[in-house]
Amino acid sequence: MSIFHNIYQAIEDACYIWRQEMKQVFRDEGVLIFCLIVPLVYPLLYSWVYNNEVVREVPVVVVDESHSQLSREFIRHCDASPDVRILAHADDLDEARMLVSRQVAKGIYLIPADFATRINRLEPAVVSVYCDMSLILTYKAIYQTAVSVTQEMGNDIKRKLSGLWTARDEQVSLSPLRIEDVPIFSPASGYGSSILPAVLMLILQQTLVLGIGLAAGTVRERNRFEDLVPIHRCYSGIYRIVCGKAMCYLMVYIFMALYLSVLVPRFFSFPALAHWQDLLVMMIPYVLACVFFGMTMSCLVRYRENVMLIIVFVSVPLLFLSGVSWPQSNIPGVWQGISWLFPSTFGIRAYVRLNTMGGTVSDVLPELRFLWIQCAAYFGAACLVYGHQLRLSRRHARERLIYLRRKRQVRAQLRAMKA
Amino acid sequence: MREMKILRVNHIYFFCMVVFPLLALVFFTSLLNEGVPEELPVGVVDLDNTSTTRSLVRRLDSFQGSRVVASYRSVAEARRAIQEGEIYGFLYFPKGTTDQLLSSRQPTISYYYNMAYVTSGSMLMKDLKTVATLGSAAVGQAKLRARGFTPQQIQTFLQPIAIDLHQIGNPWSNYNVYLSTVFVPGVMMLFMFLISAYSIGMELKFERGKEWLAHADGGIVVAILGKFLPQIAIWLALIFFYEYYLYGVLHFPYEGGVMKIVTLCVLEVFASVGFGIFAFGLMPSLRMSMSVCSLWAVLSFSMAGSAFPVMGMDGPLQALSWLFPLRHYYMMYQITVFNGFPLIDAWFHFVALVAFTLLPWFVLSKIKNAMLTYVYIP
Repeated sequence: MSIFHNIYQAIEDACYIWRQEMKQVFRDEGVLIFCLIVPLVYPLLYSWVYNNEVVREVPVVVVDESHSQLSREFIRHCDASPDVRILAHADDLDEARMLVSRQVAKGIYLIPADFATRINRLEPAVVSVYCDMSLILTYKAIYQTAVSVTQEMGNDIKRKLSGLWTARDEQVSLSPLRIEDVPIFSPASGYGSSILPAVLMLILQQTLVLGIGLAAGTVRERNRFEDLVPIHRCYSGIYRIVCGKAMCYLMVYIFMALYLSVLVPRFFSFPALAHWQDLLVMMIPYVLACVFFGMTMSCLVRYRENVMLIIVFVSVPLLFLSGVSWPQSNIPGVWQGISWLFPSTFGIRAYVRLNTMGGTVSDVLPELRFLWIQCAAYFGAACLVYGHQLRLSRRHARERLIYLRRKRQVRAQLRAMKA
Repeated sequence: MREMKILRVNHIYFFCMVVFPLLALVFFTSLLNEGVPEELPVGVVDLDNTSTTRSLVRRLDSFQGSRVVASYRSVAEARRAIQEGEIYGFLYFPKGTTDQLLSSRQPTISYYYNMAYVTSGSMLMKDLKTVATLGSAAVGQAKLRARGFTPQQIQTFLQPIAIDLHQIGNPWSNYNVYLSTVFVPGVMMLFMFLISAYSIGMELKFERGKEWLAHADGGIVVAILGKFLPQIAIWLALIFFYEYYLYGVLHFPYEGGVMKIVTLCVLEVFASVGFGIFAFGLMPSLRMSMSVCSLWAVLSFSMAGSAFPVMGMDGPLQALSWLFPLRHYYMMYQITVFNGFPLIDAWFHFVALVAFTLLPWFVLSKIKNAMLTYVYIP
């Protein structure tokens, strides 16, 4: 037998396993849910949730004790701003507090009685802002609106006070240094554009791992000895098994990856700046790493349902470890180390940089390198655990064979005794 | 007794009811231990390079929120550094800033910050804006002093209207208080959903359903109560430990007092277990009910509206959010414990959680039927 024949045989076996695995994926309801339906529907749901990006018109109560032209101007300006809506005027702080407690309003502006008097007397005036701190986005809206309105009014007052001659002179004296504020990569500073790319990548990994785990669990339960590897001529080599199974999941997930990374952001007009070549270079190692990671994990569970218990709960911590909601530079070292075990950490970082920040492959080289390392490491791990499983199933088969032989012997002896 | 044995024999219960929730608790509280992100790396593009601009850079560096890590020769280079993830933003002084400033020609300086990461972006924006405004104010101050104004007049002139901010309940705007109080109960709720569905489903899977009902003399109510009492006891112990750790050890603010926390915990446990049983009753198959529970629980982290508020979502989603127990938990926590308002203001969420507790009532007969007749199909 030539070496080429061997290789050809191996490829043929891998393809057979590939086909078997494909059949199984489409026959098993649970795997189908997690490999097809969840990745298709979940991103749409999440995109819908975060599609509005920012909160506008946060309801606020005003307690106006000044009742002056200036205080009314302040209220009018706040109401006209995009982020805040003046819901009601209250007589005192207690009444306003009651509205906040009933969740009707999210904050209070209190304008003290001497507001206008102090401004006219050239003394610093004060507006009190009380915020319900249970939501950070509404707090920011309420506070920042008050800041910008008071600054604007302050500029008007300054202009009147300064007594300058020309309009240009006034401009220069009001702001000797002009300041330009440039939020880059997501100018609307939307919550959705920031969190959603990470969620998409995470869905890819989690559904893949869940799908592989469930499929493995089913195989085990159908098998007589609760083994992962069936006894069959084609399932004779470790690499054949691992490659064959990986090919099946890769085939399904190449389409899922395309859908998640390219189509979904475009459906909801989230930022999508990546070139397709760059995206391809990034997604291949990511999906591969996820596949091998999932295969390694799938050998560690006994019942098919247990995989769900373990995988589902790590989703939220993994999202945090990727550095999207909590800055990467501020994650404690221990957790940084643990985060290196999961492909999603690097996948999310690379995807956000390519897709939201318009980077190129050279910007995400370290992440790509890590993904390939994970690929190799988890491929090795998958081979190890499958090798172990293969040995187990061979041993079971041998034991069974010996048992059957002995049974036949005993039966023959019995028959001989009878005769 | 029988349930106790099951809980002890199958290790997955131990892991899911004790180890993993505690792990989640440790994870969130230690990850967010800082409270507010500090010392975020920022860059500087200083083409002017004079004592004025350098003093502004030093001032930026001295802020708690930011740390100047590098200076770049051009904006393009700094932008690349952001894309590579080295810095989160940068301050840009064009050439001739100081010259134009001194000759009153109103130069422009800019700051760029990466809003692809909302938290770090908005933290940095605050610092960069303060520094830029200070630079502007310093010039005005010098000019006014030269014209003979008193310090108080200068103060008034620079900022005629000040804001007196009261951040009620969380004056440090500590992120740990925001996230650990919702996400950790969320993870626990996830396990309560799953374990409730799992433990009934396992009876079916190993064909012990009839035996289970026989122990309760065929009464499904007794059977369910017997099954879930030990579990509920463990959940309660777990969640009380969590609350003690949060408020007793980490000293999170709680305006509402201990009784409201206890009420909230009891409601959370009962509502989640109720939801888990209901999910199983609706689809008496281990796999389907667990899938639904896990999808529901993961979605509830978003639908609770603690990060992105529910009032900012579309109308249908606002209505949908009522179907998530975590949403009601969050609202009750926020109204009664965090802000210390009376319980009556959260009556709707109270009723909703009680309703979740009673949900299994509708599916009791279905569960009984399933136990007696269904056969497990993998």
